Amino acid sequence: MSGSSRTELLQAEHLTRHFKIGGLLSRRTLHAVDDVSFAIGEREIVALAGESGSGKSTVARVLARIYKPTSGEVYFEGKPVSRIRSRRDRLRYSGLVPMVFQDPFGSINPVFRVQHGVLRSLKLHRPELPGRERAAEAARVFEAVGLGADMLERFPYELSGGQRQRVGFAQALAMRPKLILADEPVSMLDVSIRIGLLNLMTELRDTMGVSILYITHDIASARYVADRLIVMYAGQIAETGPIDEVLASPRHPYTQLLLSTVPDPRAPLSVAAETDRGEPPKVIDPSPGCRFRYRCPLAIDACAQVTPVLAELRPGHHAACHVAQKAPAEAVKAFQ
Amino acid sequence: MSIPLSLGQPAGEPRRQSTSQWAASHALARMGRAVRSNRKATVGTVLLVFFILVALFPGVIAKDNPSADAYKPHLGLSTAHLLGTTAYGQDMFAQLVWGTRNVIIIAFTVGLATTAIAVLVGVAAAYFGGLWDSSLGVLIDVLLVIPLFPLLIIIAAYAHGGGTLLLIVVITVTSWSYTARQLRAQALTLRSRDFLEAARVRGERRLYIVVMEVIPTMTSLIVASFLTNALYAILFASSLQFIGLGDPNTVSWGTMLYWAQNNAALQTGQPLWAIAPGACIAVLGAAFALLNYAFDEIGNPALRPVRKRAPQPVPQPAPRPARGSERA
Amino acid sequence: MPEVLEVSGLSVDYVLDRGDVRAVDDVSFTVGRGEFLGIVGESGCGKSTLLFAVAQLLAPPARVAAGSVNFQGTNLVGLTDSQLSAVRWRDMSVVMQSAMNALNPVKSIGAQFRDAMRAHGKPAKDEIEARSAQVLRMVGIDPVHLHSYPHQLSGGMRQRSMIAMALLFTPDLVIMDEPTSALDVVAQRSLMVQIKELQLAYGFAVIFVTHDMSLISHFSDRLMVMYAGQVDELGATRTVFDRPLHPYTHGLLEAFPSIRGPKIPLKGIPGNPPDMARLPSGCRFHPRCPHAVDKCGQVEPDLVELDEVMVRCVRRQDGSLPVTAGQEGSLSR
Repeated sequence: MSGSSRTELLQAEHLTRHFKIGGLLSRRTLHAVDDVSFAIGEREIVALAGESGSGKSTVARVLARIYKPTSGEVYFEGKPVSRIRSRRDRLRYSGLVPMVFQDPFGSINPVFRVQHGVLRSLKLHRPELPGRERAAEAARVFEAVGLGADMLERFPYELSGGQRQRVGFAQALAMRPKLILADEPVSMLDVSIRIGLLNLMTELRDTMGVSILYITHDIASARYVADRLIVMYAGQIAETGPIDEVLASPRHPYTQLLLSTVPDPRAPLSVAAETDRGEPPKVIDPSPGCRFRYRCPLAIDACAQVTPVLAELRPGHHAACHVAQKAPAEAVKAFQ
Repeated sequence: MSIPLSLGQPAGEPRRQSTSQWAASHALARMGRAVRSNRKATVGTVLLVFFILVALFPGVIAKDNPSADAYKPHLGLSTAHLLGTTAYGQDMFAQLVWGTRNVIIIAFTVGLATTAIAVLVGVAAAYFGGLWDSSLGVLIDVLLVIPLFPLLIIIAAYAHGGGTLLLIVVITVTSWSYTARQLRAQALTLRSRDFLEAARVRGERRLYIVVMEVIPTMTSLIVASFLTNALYAILFASSLQFIGLGDPNTVSWGTMLYWAQNNAALQTGQPLWAIAPGACIAVLGAAFALLNYAFDEIGNPALRPVRKRAPQPVPQPAPRPARGSERA
Repeated sequence: MPEVLEVSGLSVDYVLDRGDVRAVDDVSFTVGRGEFLGIVGESGCGKSTLLFAVAQLLAPPARVAAGSVNFQGTNLVGLTDSQLSAVRWRDMSVVMQSAMNALNPVKSIGAQFRDAMRAHGKPAKDEIEARSAQVLRMVGIDPVHLHSYPHQLSGGMRQRSMIAMALLFTPDLVIMDEPTSALDVVAQRSLMVQIKELQLAYGFAVIFVTHDMSLISHFSDRLMVMYAGQVDELGATRTVFDRPLHPYTHGLLEAFPSIRGPKIPLKGIPGNPPDMARLPSGCRFHPRCPHAVDKCGQVEPDLVELDEVMVRCVRRQDGSLPVTAGQEGSLSR
């Protein structure tokens, strides 16, 4: 998975991020992200799926350079991100890899008009634009995300949740990005509004050639927009591959579990269906072995001793599971 | 329970008053409306404006020189002397009116200075964190722990006779730490808000974020701090003057109380000498306090008083026929 | 008494400076014994306000403007707090959205159960302990956690202890306000299954408010869809799902991307819910409705029974949108 050729737009290699927790007397380490490697290409939407504690938000924040990795490296356009030092380079990177946040009510400063963020982005990242052109560009970017130019002068409290998230995308677009890190952009929106934002994301990919890292816990929306899927569990990648392939025949038991929770309105659910009562662990000072083994009905001895690594089971389709790797041709059946 | 968003939005109203980025002009218009509609705000504003006008133009109202002991002492109320004269033959009304200036100056100067220092220290501590937070935090906490009023007395006693400026400095130095702690706490909660992270991610410098993104969202707390500090400035300054630690020759309400006390005004039949300045302190203090409550209510609709309405009988609908087909 | 709850013509107003705003408009429904009613709607539709009104938890500036809430024969509207406490928790209990906000962070779970039990009677100490352990076991939590504090439990366990607390007196009706939305998907699903199992085992009725229609569809007996303060559709869950009559319900169902089958581009519902202070004329949904005609902006439709389902739609009622039409691309069959 960690290729030596750095031709992709963004490549993460053995990314690890730990946090120190506890007081002076009991220092412990929270393993938020452990040895994660993946790549994102041009014009591609990659979905990063997982529940809370999976490390998906931490990965995004490392890519956004909010956190420095504890170890490992991120390569953007072939160059290591850790070498970025000067203000000019930092600014350039933050313009090419902006982030869109989850909470529509917290991600815009309530005191200013909604154009404030876009205008600041333009001022910082495209300083060559004079004032009048900046305003025109702001209007253009608003229209590109489906907001009328008349909304520029509104205040955040006048906008709905969906409209505010579009403002978030507009702020990112103003900087002419190559890769947008979208951290659960639709989770806090009403269901009927989500589709509009999801359609916007596919449109950005198709017409503007922007890649998007779509972080979510909702596999169904991931299927709707993404080309590839990365499933994370407890700080590690469980499975990754082209999205239709992974969803049609998941190899990792956790992927199966996630799939089983997506309610299918058509199928009547029997209440007595096998349900998993466990919750994702907080990974503090973990021992080796698969972190899903406590909830996995297929766990074997090796699962408690050796941490599984991603192995290619089918072309482009990788899973980190001892059981799956023993029988790569079959789809595992852990959760129905 | 909070009011759902869709009930409060004046959606669709275009804002055309100004194109300035800042909400300042917009905020002023909103404040104007809020002041008119909230009774506490109206009363507080009227009183405060009244006192400010008196402080600005004392000569218009009281023609006499307040310090001149040119009249016969112990005069009662009359048209020439609206409040009579003091034991030293000074016109009490003129003293009261001219004293307003001193009090207003102290209130506003201390209020502004205290709030400004507190904002700088508190927000910097919260936002920069780390060593800044630790060291500034220690400074704040040390000042907090020292009992305020005894400290004031000690400092003022050492610099006896220093006058209004010293009073202002002393009160400011001893009271900024309370507000700094409050503002630091609020800034800490704001630190994790997404819009600050968004500003950081788009490449803003830290100082810009603190000044332009954090502080504007704290305006309601900053205004409340100013009002509280102004109120306490009046009370502390008057108290210090009353016990003789201010310059007794300044014309102020507190010094009037000092001289009244010295001459046992209440016991010797000159009650107005003590009551008049005391009442003024109370009323001006109330003006600031009312404005403080009003700003709270304007900012948080849940605190507004519920209008009492005559209990209306809840209309009962006519009994409907049983809808058997409703049940599954 | 076949019904546990009968709500008739309930309207709730918010008393604001600029005038009263009606958040819940003339809502009527019943809940039978042991029935699971799902109330579905998006933000601002009034479902939470409706829930608070039924549970008599409205605080100013909200107030009941009209209607009655008949709980087992007694109208709860207008009762004083002391009169309500006879009913509260014994016969009707409430589970809130976020346990972390509803549970006292400085008291152990057991202490909070004890407080709840003492508030409604004078049980003996061993009675309290026995019952507390019993309800925890009912929701699948080891009774050793009676000594735990909320922050020591995971999100799913906290929500389950809220539900356990709600079942302390085996009420006849449990009202739930989005109890699963703060949880992860796997925990959500297992909690829903748990709730349904308990309901079937102990026979209490449930009113479950949520915005997640697909989740509720597997557990509710009847479904009520709310929009802009009104009930737009009400009927048996399966019927509403297979054949949604109201264009809003249809739009909601269409807004769920499917996990199987061909990938088709979806449209969602364009526009936004209306500002409750400035409602559109006629049908409240017509500005966003793909089937709207002129009449929809002129006539305010009533909630009327049509083919075993109550629906509020001008065109369905006058027959200009026949029942088989308007369901192209529907998820059924």
